[in-house]
Amino acid sequence: MATLAAPAFAAPIERSDGGFLSWLGTTDHKRIGYLYLFTATGFLLWGGGEAMLMRWQLRAPNQHFLSAEQYNQLFTMHGTTMIFLVVMPLSAAFFNLLVPLQIGARDVAFPRLNAFSYWVYLLGGLFISVPIIFNAGPNGGWFGYAPLTTTTYSPGLNIDFWVAGLQILGISSLAAGFNFITTIINMRAPGMNLMRMPMFTWMAFVVQFLIVLAFPVITIALVFLLFDRFFGTNFYEIAAGADPLLWQHLFWIFGHPEVYILVLPAFGLVSEVLPTFSQKPLFGYPVMVYSGILIGFLGFGVWAHHMFAVGMGPIADTVFGVTTMLIAIPTGVKIFNWIFTMWGGSVRFTTASMFAIGLVAMFTIGGISGVMHSSPPADLQQTDTYFVVAHFHYVLFGGSLMGLFAGIYYYYPKLTGHLLDEGLGKWHFWLNLIGSNLAFFPMHFSGLLGMPRRIYTYDANQGWDTFNLLSSIGAFIVGFATLILVYNMLVNRKRGRLAGNNPWGAGTLEWSIPSPPPVYNFAEIPRVTSRYPVWDLTAPELTAAVPHTLRGDEMVTAQVGGVSAGQMSVPADRRPAAAAGAGLHAPPARVPSAEELGIPIPYTTTKPFFTALGIIVMFGGLLLTRMENKIPGWAVLALGAATLVGGLYWWLTSPLEPEHEHAGAHGAAPHHAHAH
Amino acid sequence: MPFVSRPRRRAAAALMGAAGVAVALGLAACGVGDPRTYPNTTFAPHTEFGRDIDDLWNLLLYLGTAVFIFVETLLVITIVRFRHRPGAPRPKHVHGNTTLEILWTVIPAVVLTIIAVPTVRTIFRTQARAEPNALQVEVYGHQWWWEFRYPQYGVTTASELYMPTGRKVNFALRTADVLHSFWVPELGGKRDLISNHVNYLWWTPADSVAETAWNGTCNEYCGASHANMRFRAFVVSPAEFERWARHQAAPAFFNASAAAAPAAPAAPPARTSFGPAPAAGPALVRAVANVRGAQPGKGTAPAPGESPGGSPGGPEAMQVAAAVADTGAVFPRDRLPSYVIPAVPTPAQLKFTPGLVGDPARGQKIFSGGLCIGCHTIKGNPMAAGVIGPNLTHVGSRYTIAGSLYKNDTDHLRLWIKNARLMKPGVTMPTLGMGQVDPQTGATVTAATGGLTDQQIADIVAYLQALK
Repeated sequence: MATLAAPAFAAPIERSDGGFLSWLGTTDHKRIGYLYLFTATGFLLWGGGEAMLMRWQLRAPNQHFLSAEQYNQLFTMHGTTMIFLVVMPLSAAFFNLLVPLQIGARDVAFPRLNAFSYWVYLLGGLFISVPIIFNAGPNGGWFGYAPLTTTTYSPGLNIDFWVAGLQILGISSLAAGFNFITTIINMRAPGMNLMRMPMFTWMAFVVQFLIVLAFPVITIALVFLLFDRFFGTNFYEIAAGADPLLWQHLFWIFGHPEVYILVLPAFGLVSEVLPTFSQKPLFGYPVMVYSGILIGFLGFGVWAHHMFAVGMGPIADTVFGVTTMLIAIPTGVKIFNWIFTMWGGSVRFTTASMFAIGLVAMFTIGGISGVMHSSPPADLQQTDTYFVVAHFHYVLFGGSLMGLFAGIYYYYPKLTGHLLDEGLGKWHFWLNLIGSNLAFFPMHFSGLLGMPRRIYTYDANQGWDTFNLLSSIGAFIVGFATLILVYNMLVNRKRGRLAGNNPWGAGTLEWSIPSPPPVYNFAEIPRVTSRYPVWDLTAPELTAAVPHTLRGDEMVTAQVGGVSAGQMSVPADRRPAAAAGAGLHAPPARVPSAEELGIPIPYTTTKPFFTALGIIVMFGGLLLTRMENKIPGWAVLALGAATLVGGLYWWLTSPLEPEHEHAGAHGAAPHHAHAH
Repeated sequence: MPFVSRPRRRAAAALMGAAGVAVALGLAACGVGDPRTYPNTTFAPHTEFGRDIDDLWNLLLYLGTAVFIFVETLLVITIVRFRHRPGAPRPKHVHGNTTLEILWTVIPAVVLTIIAVPTVRTIFRTQARAEPNALQVEVYGHQWWWEFRYPQYGVTTASELYMPTGRKVNFALRTADVLHSFWVPELGGKRDLISNHVNYLWWTPADSVAETAWNGTCNEYCGASHANMRFRAFVVSPAEFERWARHQAAPAFFNASAAAAPAAPAAPPARTSFGPAPAAGPALVRAVANVRGAQPGKGTAPAPGESPGGSPGGPEAMQVAAAVADTGAVFPRDRLPSYVIPAVPTPAQLKFTPGLVGDPARGQKIFSGGLCIGCHTIKGNPMAAGVIGPNLTHVGSRYTIAGSLYKNDTDHLRLWIKNARLMKPGVTMPTLGMGQVDPQTGATVTAATGGLTDQQIADIVAYLQALK
């Protein structure tokens, strides 16, 4: 039996889509989240296609469907794409959509910087992804170990695209990081103290700090490499005495926190989904917060566990082995807290909750194999084999992606106003679960049975044939399952069942407003009195018993979600008598516009787009200087720089929103709290 | 109704199914220690280093399996027991339980301590300095082949590593170019080759594994042909090892000249840039006679009364020299396991004129007067002293060529010389066959660029094969 009907009221707000230009110039965090979601999904198909090609090659020994060069470009770009163009931007889609909604804000702190982040991501993503079509894609691995990436060993443009592309993508991540830190610190609604923030926002908060602290390190490493390749410096030129371990240390000081950048947002999403579908608050909220912070903190102290085979000596091996083991403790705490969130609950199996449960089950496997190579001597038999490939696919596919899929099914109705089809969702889930285990579990065996990573072919009679065939079959099942997801998303974007404000009976603030939310999000900035403000209204008899979340009469002031403007509603069959008596009434036929409510909305502007374009053109020009004739390169570079500087000047000297123009004219601060 | 009706049973069934697949794979994996099925397994260690790692691995595997079963069982019980039932009251809001949370912080900490203590012990034990009388092997990684030097014996070889049982082998690992990683899964953990660094790794092959051959690989991505950078590791008895080493150290001549000059090196053996010349003569005889427990290591310091590189002593020495000249390799060819015999197909478009017979003497002339000597050294051929490619002294005694990618037989050698770049992507070895197109440059090989006819190639191959 169905457990919760999708209420068929509150027709979703039809966005005045306004065509291409309105998307190019949007500063609305929800529309930017939408752009992130669909762009990242596109790159998911792209990166997944790369994986399919590789698995077709490896289905049997001694295949030559792909050449060595093609395969090397594919594995480099599969990793780069999935990390930088799929998982991080999918997380960013949720940061954009959810952080302002969950903390009760009208937008992020810097809406135009937010748009800039997206455009840099899109253009940078194309910059790094397109060359592979012309057989000129990066081919040094996503880790780009020196000295293979120096011009001595990789003279072509391939690595240049990678260095410049990652540098560009780093700008996007850093800008977004500062933006969200500012947003979360400054723009929380009254009463939304840190220990009331929804767990997703908490994990987003931790992740932004990881980004802001880790990306400068890879930026430095890439600047060194860029200077080596273009201006003749010798940071990694071994003939000039360089130490290749410099790159490895810099890369992994970035690279390991990056793992947590990839997985913590998914943890946050699961921590939203499981309470909703268990109808129970998150178990051990404070411990979940602290364990998230601790994982982020310890994540900076374990980087050299990627380097146990480089010969660092016994003391370094011991230190990094032990710190790596330590990280298992807060991670284990999260797993148990999720299980105990469901324990004693009433667990409904929707696609979202099934993906969330799938994350708990699959990430556990990745966590256990992670402990297996935290022991440096044991790692010497595992590193750079398929065992490690199995491990991090359980972490990043079974962990990050399944959490993000849970988030897509859970929040798609909030973003679009339309539910995804649950039947197709179930197909996606089961095929995904079966396919991914079939693809990745046998890799444990091929690795421990001696199969190295990153090989484009292998000889017969090595005992690897069966495992590779299974992995290839599994990979194609996963590929098919992903197509179901994309079909589901496209078909139900405007035609899916209407969602209503709160289709899942969730408890956090974002479910108190219409789906999709109006451009201003909250007609009235809500006053928050607990971790689950909506449950305070829908089930006060349950939440009232919890003393630390409520402060007496603040509870039913009906200010949550601006009920007075008709924003707040709960499905009729979920509405307890107490809440009904507290002044909740049926939603109005239509949602008032920002103008009617007198809420200032940032102007639509293409300035961030042109500024981003300037950066891409600049790097393109830099690459062109590798030609015999350097003049076109320098000309393009100058053109890009001019676009960048001009765009920035234009951007920084123009007002964000009408209020600012008034403020300038009258010398008075606007009465609406909005970051500038 | 948007939500599926009986999902919990399906959820449980699926999780059970997944667990079932895992268990089935686990059972299948019971054979993972069997080198006949899984010739590169890490589950059947044959050295003290491998055993140390395997002990740790077993601990990790048992604890990991226990944690896996516990967590997944708890998860399945939870979702089955607390599934939504229509009409059930809303669950009570529970926000946490301090005792439980402390418990699941402390228990993992204890488990990790159980892992950490033996881990640290093993780290320090396996990274201790090897004793000085160990067999020293210098490993050089090249894009994309392995070079092995035995400084105590004056041997330089490629792609094939020989080790005696019962003696510690200390590897000094260096790279000539980019990073590589040295791994023989059956013998122990891997170690990277880092430019401008020297890394060390040691192990002692167990006595029980004499006359066994294993595969080695490169495990650090090193460019186009990373997948094709393989080698073979042979473990033989100490006596056979001595025989092999002494033979490899001697200059190589093909049969014709060897027959013409049986008293091989009248002059001191040609010294290459790769290390000291060996002490031949009586030392060789003694070493052969003195089998197990032999401690050469004095290869470079001749015993009193011997002149370094002196002419062969008596008939005994000649007898030994003749014996090894016949076989070259000490590992019996008919006992090579199938997994060390390459099955890599050659490119279909690469053909060789059938029926050609090579002449080694002519081949030596072509080799010595052509491009070959720019890259290759052959001890015994004073013209050939290049150091870019593999050392080809005694190349006829090897089982594989091209980074153990192909069998070392007439067909493969001929095709390799004709168009190496077609057979192994990215290699430095140029395309030499007349009329062949170099896949890296797109240029066609002509006589002006040093092109060789099929007959010339056949002659060179005959020469190389004679270098037993």
